[in-house]
Amino acid sequence: MKDEALLKEPFPVVFRRWMTSAGGITILLTIVVAIIAAIDAGPFIIVNTVVTGGMWALLSLGLSLVFGVMNIPNFAHGEFFLIGSLTAYFTFNPLRLYLKENPSPFLSAIAPLLGIFLAFFVGALLGVILEKLIFSPLRKRSRDQWVMNSFLLTVGISVVIINSVQLTWGANFKGIPNYWNVDPLDFLGVNLSVDRLAAFLLAVVTLIVFWYFMRRTQTGRAVRAVAQDETGALMVGINLNYILSLTMALSAGLAAMAGASLLFIFPAYPTAGLKPLYVAWYVVILVGLGNVSAAVVGGFIVALLQTLTSFYVGTGWEDVIPTAVIIIMLIFKPSGLFGSEVKGIQER
Amino acid sequence: MENNAQAALSDGATGNGRFTALLNATGISPTGLTMIIILLVLPFIPPFNQEHILRWLVSAALLGAQAIAFDFTTGYINVVNFGFAAFLGVGAYTSGLLAVNLGLSPWVGIFVGAIPAALIGFLTGLLTLRLRGIFAAVMAWFVGLALLGLTRNLVDLTRGPMGLSTPTLLNTSSNRPYFYIILAMMLITYIVLRKIIGSRYGLAFRAIGQNMDAARASGINPTYYRVFNFTVQCLFAGWLGGFYAHYFGILTPQLMLTARTVEVLAIAYIGGRGSLWGGAAVAFPFIFLIEALRSNLTELPGLHLVIYGLLLVLVMIFYPGGFAAFYKRAVAWVKGLRDR
Repeated sequence: MKDEALLKEPFPVVFRRWMTSAGGITILLTIVVAIIAAIDAGPFIIVNTVVTGGMWALLSLGLSLVFGVMNIPNFAHGEFFLIGSLTAYFTFNPLRLYLKENPSPFLSAIAPLLGIFLAFFVGALLGVILEKLIFSPLRKRSRDQWVMNSFLLTVGISVVIINSVQLTWGANFKGIPNYWNVDPLDFLGVNLSVDRLAAFLLAVVTLIVFWYFMRRTQTGRAVRAVAQDETGALMVGINLNYILSLTMALSAGLAAMAGASLLFIFPAYPTAGLKPLYVAWYVVILVGLGNVSAAVVGGFIVALLQTLTSFYVGTGWEDVIPTAVIIIMLIFKPSGLFGSEVKGIQER
Repeated sequence: MENNAQAALSDGATGNGRFTALLNATGISPTGLTMIIILLVLPFIPPFNQEHILRWLVSAALLGAQAIAFDFTTGYINVVNFGFAAFLGVGAYTSGLLAVNLGLSPWVGIFVGAIPAALIGFLTGLLTLRLRGIFAAVMAWFVGLALLGLTRNLVDLTRGPMGLSTPTLLNTSSNRPYFYIILAMMLITYIVLRKIIGSRYGLAFRAIGQNMDAARASGINPTYYRVFNFTVQCLFAGWLGGFYAHYFGILTPQLMLTARTVEVLAIAYIGGRGSLWGGAAVAFPFIFLIEALRSNLTELPGLHLVIYGLLLVLVMIFYPGGFAAFYKRAVAWVKGLRDR
């Protein structure tokens, strides 16, 4: 309905209105800040922002989706990231050793993608298992105070996964030097490694596929219907359990994929998921709880904020500055920069 | 409510109305009193009089006290303070830094340290508690992370990860006096919070926790009561942090990690939300179990956290009342047996 209303008005009017909304101003401001910083410090700022931003977007998207559809504030989201990077490590590392013995250009080009896609499926599988094993029983028992209870459940899950990983594989770092062992490209005078470029392209492709799935397919529409009104969705014959499992699988899969694609920057170790987790939460609170499309933009905004903080203020301050930004945010616009699609931000 | 039932149960046994009235006033049931007396003599009974076991007792009482304070918010207004450990850390660092830099006596510092913790809690609450509960949880977590980042980065002040050595409360190497101090602090925490719960405020908390709309319709201002509750919790967290600083004698930013909050949270939930005493009751057997595991299975670090996490999940799904509900049921069952 919203889309139809937009179509009726001439594009410049819509565009001007959007540019003067909080969201439009933020995006404009972000781009301006990015350009100023790039002129001041060098174009690597933009490169770094865009590469990590794409992956933060995938992560926040999943977090936002699960909150919007299932009403679960997922604290174990970072653990999907961890599982993804572990899967990629254990797939890619043997392959890499094998390739050292018998070089094959085709296989070495395809091996990283193998690891990344496998990570997606392992993550999705974990998501389904968690939904069937944990959230579904809780949903059957009681829906009282669901948000808080499911939040605490995910806390428990996160603790169990982190420490099981530590028990099984120890606390050492499991990383790889790079996915594609080729010379870095020269881009705007910055050395851009192929891994980073691939991570960004992968994020873009995934986002497009995801957008297509949500907007243009029957199943995607069903997911959005459940997000809007669960009872209504049940009434028109949507298989609720299937949609809930699918949502969890998608969210977990995207997070795992992000973890796998960034393995060359973030090695896998038990608490590797913590940082991505709170980045995803920063993004989601910043743009508005449950607002899926805004989460994508938010991913890039937060990535810029982090890059700027670590360059101008120093590493180690990346947690302090975004928290300050969020505090300001909550004072003036608690529903988030782009507004929240979840009903009842204010406690009624 | 269960206190009344137990008080009535024990009336015949003690036969002393005034004593029962005193117990009712403090909110401690006769069973609870028995447990406290056992705890009081425990440090003299072998094997509990060994120093390392006394250390376990101190940590258990500290954890129990934290769980009581934690349950005051989670169990009643249904808001999770996910930065609890950081608020405790604020109290610990304030007290420790005052003692190190200004030579303030730790005995005073413990109480002074509670003030900034309560203040930060008040501001966090003011900011988020008008919104849905999840905002408060996530925001408290962010504030906790920011505080952790600050203590790590302000190396000139806090000495960062190198650790700040703080003077201890007492000039003794024995853990026994510390145990009595923390036990007293735990009891004070319990009695004060129980008093608040028993008052008009407690009624408002429960109303808000159960049904916000109904509470508002009855003329309760949810934001006011929630902020009040949250601030009181942070005050106690800071106070207990002061003890932490002057018992261990060393402060590292590690103490503010989210994992610490999760530990308290798990104990509070396993003990039973909305009971206050449940967390303190399970803290003792738990710490003993976990310390025994840790000392026997040194090659498996983090096993205790897996147990915490699994129990938290299981309790949340299958037995939401926790130990307190189990106890209540057991008492009712025993009573049923006797009446038959």
